[in-house]
Amino acid sequence: MLEVLFIGLSLGSILLLVALGLAITYGAMGVINMAHGEMVMIGAYVTVLTGLWLGLNIFFAIPIAFIVTAVLGLVIERVVVRRLYGRLLDTLLATWGIAILIQQAVRLELGLSFFGIHIAGLGPGLQNVSVPAVLQGTFMLGSAEINRYRAFIIVVTAVLTAVTWLIMYRTPIGTQVRAIIRNPKMAAACGIDVARVNALTFAFGSGLAGVAGVMMSGFKTVFPDMGTPMVVDGFMVVVMGGIGSLLGSVLSAGILGEINGLVAAGTNDILARAVVFGVVIMIIILKPKGLFSLKGR
Amino acid sequence: MAQTALTIDGLGVDFGGFKAVNNVSLTVEEGELRVLLGANGAGKTTLMDLVSGKTKSTEGRVFLHDTDITNWEEHKIARAGVGRKFQIPSVFKDLSVRRNLEVASCRNPGVLANLRFGFSQQARHDVDRVLELIGLTEEANRLAAYLSHGQTQWLELGLLVTQSPKVILLDEPTAGMTQAETHKTSEIVNSLKGKHTLIVVEHDMAFVREIAERITVLHLGQVLAEGNVEQIETNPKVREAYLGSKGIG
Amino acid sequence: MSIKQRIQIAIYVGFFALIMCAPMVLDPFWLNRIAKYLVFGMLGVAVALSWGYAGILNLGQGLFFGAGAYMLAMSLKLASPTSLQQGSDRPVPDFMLWNAEPGAPTELCCITKASFLWLPFQHQWFGIVMGLVLPVAIATIIGVIVFRKRIAGVFVSIITLALVLLVRLVVIDAQPVTNGFNGLTDLGVFKIGELELDPYIVPTYYFVAIALCLVLSGARLLIETRAGLILQATRDDQNRARYLGFDVPLYQTFFFAVSAGIAGIAGMFYVVVSEFASPTFMDLTFSITMVVWAAVGGRSSILGACIGAILINMISATVSETEGFAEAWKVIIGLIFVLVVLYLPRGVAGLAHDLIDRLLVRRKAPSRHPVGVTDASQLAE
Repeated sequence: MLEVLFIGLSLGSILLLVALGLAITYGAMGVINMAHGEMVMIGAYVTVLTGLWLGLNIFFAIPIAFIVTAVLGLVIERVVVRRLYGRLLDTLLATWGIAILIQQAVRLELGLSFFGIHIAGLGPGLQNVSVPAVLQGTFMLGSAEINRYRAFIIVVTAVLTAVTWLIMYRTPIGTQVRAIIRNPKMAAACGIDVARVNALTFAFGSGLAGVAGVMMSGFKTVFPDMGTPMVVDGFMVVVMGGIGSLLGSVLSAGILGEINGLVAAGTNDILARAVVFGVVIMIIILKPKGLFSLKGR
Repeated sequence: MAQTALTIDGLGVDFGGFKAVNNVSLTVEEGELRVLLGANGAGKTTLMDLVSGKTKSTEGRVFLHDTDITNWEEHKIARAGVGRKFQIPSVFKDLSVRRNLEVASCRNPGVLANLRFGFSQQARHDVDRVLELIGLTEEANRLAAYLSHGQTQWLELGLLVTQSPKVILLDEPTAGMTQAETHKTSEIVNSLKGKHTLIVVEHDMAFVREIAERITVLHLGQVLAEGNVEQIETNPKVREAYLGSKGIG
Repeated sequence: MSIKQRIQIAIYVGFFALIMCAPMVLDPFWLNRIAKYLVFGMLGVAVALSWGYAGILNLGQGLFFGAGAYMLAMSLKLASPTSLQQGSDRPVPDFMLWNAEPGAPTELCCITKASFLWLPFQHQWFGIVMGLVLPVAIATIIGVIVFRKRIAGVFVSIITLALVLLVRLVVIDAQPVTNGFNGLTDLGVFKIGELELDPYIVPTYYFVAIALCLVLSGARLLIETRAGLILQATRDDQNRARYLGFDVPLYQTFFFAVSAGIAGIAGMFYVVVSEFASPTFMDLTFSITMVVWAAVGGRSSILGACIGAILINMISATVSETEGFAEAWKVIIGLIFVLVVLYLPRGVAGLAHDLIDRLLVRRKAPSRHPVGVTDASQLAE
């Protein structure tokens, strides 16, 4: 039983990892970033590429992926998202278009495959990342056998969540972000540079996604389409947790992860995912604002 | 004696301990124009919300003629004969001015009843008449999104006139208007007097002076005073709570 | 009737004539392909109705498409030669044999769990009726629950998204009843009376083309009714419509159900021309792609969304013939999509409208209205 719960916990932490960045951008800017899944995918590919070209392992890939995806997020925000302020559904669609572009960029190896040039590590095929020896295998916790890599994911997620919490609640810029979440116009009236903070928020959220991608690459095959199901999962968590609530996202990731784990143990993975969707639909219908909503009037 | 159009009896709403509207009773006769005055937070808009169904009341009753419409759904209250104009003018932005009014002219609001083409002679006539009343005949084919603020307010008034409800609730119809626009609005409102029952929430004293018959003053969610312009002006309680020493206008 | 309206009717008639003439120039292989695109055109109409006119962005339109498809496919599967072989003269689909409960009789009622659900589909007409009824029923239930609770735009979209994914997973999981991932293949041929509608013959193409014309005309006429106008009002300002006395959720549910019905019909036609039904119909990418077609073609234009769907797929197919171009085309479409969302919310149809308006204004003497400010009723198509 402990093992089932542990698996649920690790599933939840993977959900949270992806959802964390999404929660911030959705809460602060009301942006539904369908390209978020692609950020995760890019993070995974960064891990592949740093492994292949720089010979570095996962631990080094984490900061590199963060920077790459953060910069990419900044560009997307400046060029596209910024022009769609207030047009919620249009941001959803526009970022979906960008997601397509990013996917194709990877498939076409940044366009170079057209000219017959191939970059190892890119392209439409599957890639794999080998996990450093220290993270392989299992260890014993009491009577339960715990997978090291899953435990690693939980630890990284916890650390990232804590860091995010610290930034949001203990730094000036975090206060600004929270002000914007509650009431962007008032925040602007108080002298907060909403445009700049939004850009940084989007970049930070994307960076978190990149790190999630690094984690993913350790146990999932890396391929260009891997991002789409993740953005869906991420949104389920965020919408259920409530706009702007970090706690809400943490709790809903945990709940959905555990439900997934328990149902999967009882039936199979496919039904488990279906049940999770069902739960989310119920919650949106019953509590449209999510479990905890912090949006001001 | 004139029929009573709207009866509000002991109406109140409790927002978790805070009573925005507290035991308010008032009666409005048919064809009357009643002005609701009061400071911000006095409960005027909340009272309108309660009558029109936007907010559910926690005590009291509302009667439209003899029908108890307390806490009905908004569209049912609208169908029963209560029209409402909002503070922030709301019209159908992607439809033309004429189309806006045509929507309001649908007498039967059901889906199946409206699976028909075109409008009756009567309806088209009404729309033309209203276009003239609100002064937007020239703009009939313009998208409502391109109207100026004042024109949008008039269009919304036009929607209400076309809807032709028995009771019309106007929430600050001159908000954001210039003096000239305000004057035109008062013309439109005055032309409605007698044929419709009007309840107007306002701040603009010049406007109030132009249109008012009877005034009800609200303060802190309760009725403070009732009377005509002169009576309200000289009422010491009202002066203290709301008007200050200079009176109306 | 105004000039603008005459031009619109002319464009519709022109389009009908065009698709009717296709068999004269195309070989059966291409005809079959075009027939598929015409089906996508129907989906474009469904999306335009729901999104452009009702203001409901359905990110899971594939659910209704798939529902319609599977219903007909079930009937055709039972009529298939591979099914009738199984011992009795009462058909049992081949995949059920491989998924049979141990010791179960080879009968539809009990060969696998829930296989009895297939029993009524022995009659083709039942599949057809269900192909329309099921999507409409699902849409009505969704509408009654979701719209009555006044759930706002974005959340509705997320619910539709989650729903299509949920159903897709359930269909995949229910292998003994649906054949899971593989979908329903090896179907019998669709019959109208004695006429067998093989996917590659000309009558089948006409069948689809006429259906598209009917769907297009029907949707267009529906929009022209007073109800269509009121629907647009609810899209523009729900509250204002409510306070004018309209039961907004009722209108939304009604048109959402009509849109679902069209998608269901499209699903059935797709089964006729491609001879299979699969869970891929309920892939998220497919559902969102439908939205892309409508956005590029013009979400508020019934014909625009239809043509957008057909053209994008046609170009996609032509381009895929050449290696590498297929992927490049996806980039182009992605780019066009982003640009359309950013700068061209009314899509290509909107551009066409503006062009026609400009040409008309130049013909007339100086008009009262400045160029560009047009009667929105003429924009609505």
